[in-house]
Amino acid sequence: MTKDALKDYVAGHYEGKLTPLDTGRFDLWFEVKAGDLVEVAQSLRDDEQLKFDFLCNIGGVDTTERFEAVYSLASTVHKHRIDLKVVMSHDAPEVDSVQQVWPGANWFEREMWELYGINVKNHDNLTRFLLPDEWDQGHPMRKDWDAPDFIRMPEPGQ
Amino acid sequence: MTGLRTEEFVVNMGPQHPSTHGVCRLMLTMSGEKVIKIEPVIGYLHRAIEKICENRTYNQCIPMMDRFEYVTSMSSNMVFALAAEKLAELEVPERAEYLRVIMLELNRIASHLIFYGVTAMDLGALTPFLYGLREREMIVDLFEMTCGQRLTYNYIRVGGVSKDIPKEFVPKCRETVKTIREKLLDYEGLLNENPIWLVRNKKVGVLPTDLAIAYGVSGPVARASGIDFDLRRDDPYSIYDRFDWDVPVRHNCDCYDRYLLRLDEIKQSLNIIDQALDGLPEGPVQAPKFKPMSFKPPAGEVYSRIENSRGEMGCYLVSDGTTKPVRVKLRGGSYSQLQALPHFGTGGMIADLVAIFASLDIILPEVDR
Repeated sequence: MTKDALKDYVAGHYEGKLTPLDTGRFDLWFEVKAGDLVEVAQSLRDDEQLKFDFLCNIGGVDTTERFEAVYSLASTVHKHRIDLKVVMSHDAPEVDSVQQVWPGANWFEREMWELYGINVKNHDNLTRFLLPDEWDQGHPMRKDWDAPDFIRMPEPGQ
Repeated sequence: MTGLRTEEFVVNMGPQHPSTHGVCRLMLTMSGEKVIKIEPVIGYLHRAIEKICENRTYNQCIPMMDRFEYVTSMSSNMVFALAAEKLAELEVPERAEYLRVIMLELNRIASHLIFYGVTAMDLGALTPFLYGLREREMIVDLFEMTCGQRLTYNYIRVGGVSKDIPKEFVPKCRETVKTIREKLLDYEGLLNENPIWLVRNKKVGVLPTDLAIAYGVSGPVARASGIDFDLRRDDPYSIYDRFDWDVPVRHNCDCYDRYLLRLDEIKQSLNIIDQALDGLPEGPVQAPKFKPMSFKPPAGEVYSRIENSRGEMGCYLVSDGTTKPVRVKLRGGSYSQLQALPHFGTGGMIADLVAIFASLDIILPEVDR
């Protein structure tokens, strides 16, 4: 399926659930509501035309106004790829786990929970992961995170 | 044998175990000599590369990428440069693209040679290590001649490569390709039919195809499990679509197939290098008018991915139109491979686990970042 055909297919079959985003400009990006995530993920994986069976990556983002979780999906059968984005509030970020769809999501979600403080519901193992066991300084990947020895570099030329 | 009590016990393999290839700790639940549960404990090498990158300009991030995956740092340079170029719609000169492909493939061979040597050494054979490192030395010399570095190259930059190759490079590279092609017969002769090697590797660590896909396993490990997927062919980046080569796939899913597959891949990489050297055009190696310190890609986000010697290497990059990235998320092949390990590595002896771990070719800086 070409990129345009894929876009039309996804936009047609997931109307109201997946909203196209233009932030990616080159790849296909869709926004999905946190409540629909697992259902949409399951159907993206099982649809014979799409077969998004391969989870490349999950990345958390802190835009200072909100949190985002980005799911990069690929198909080993049809070789195409899309990205999904879930937007969460900055006060109480929360998202469902997609482990039951792609078991490989486990570690990515665990990392997101630890570094961003995004609560992952129905995750089987939210425990310390990359940071030291005795870590008590919050979620370091957040933009408002601060530590005495963390110095922000000025813009070049300033 | 009444009165004899048995119980399961926990053994820590690592973090300072030589066959965990770095500082990975595997908490093994053992029943006698049999492994019944594996729990990887990672994070010993976490250097917060992603956080540091948010505090650097785009080209200042490239040296950080060298430390992300240092065995093939050309690839990690490449994945970041690709993402930034895609965001900025930056055209890379033809000669730079060819040089990139040559360097990436040389680096892939160097990485597989390390795999060849280290895996054999983990299983008790010292000679292959010397063989593998001997030929890798020739490749490292080529890199040193080009960019002055032997491990952290910082060569592939946003907008091209850092400098042109010296004029001795092409003949020396052809000689290296020829030598490695000849020496491959030695490598195969040493291990392929070696009875100890066969017993240690055949039917050990079988990773079923569906499990591999479910856990996002990619690269040589996935292709040895029968998944016919290679990003260089299926989602071509740079100029990989111009070359004629094959994607080797094997179907036995065990350690032995993973080993054979990497040797096959070396042959294919040599073919690509030959063609790239033949087609290498003249011209500049950096995008004209590109200024590294004031490089501001327009706001947007992109996920770029390339085929590394350890599987899919990805970089999710978010820009807000300033000189520094908002978010850099790195994805390495080892991460998914290590995550899959507890689900297929159990049931054997602890010595089998050493063979399985070596066959996955995991390196820890890529897992911990």
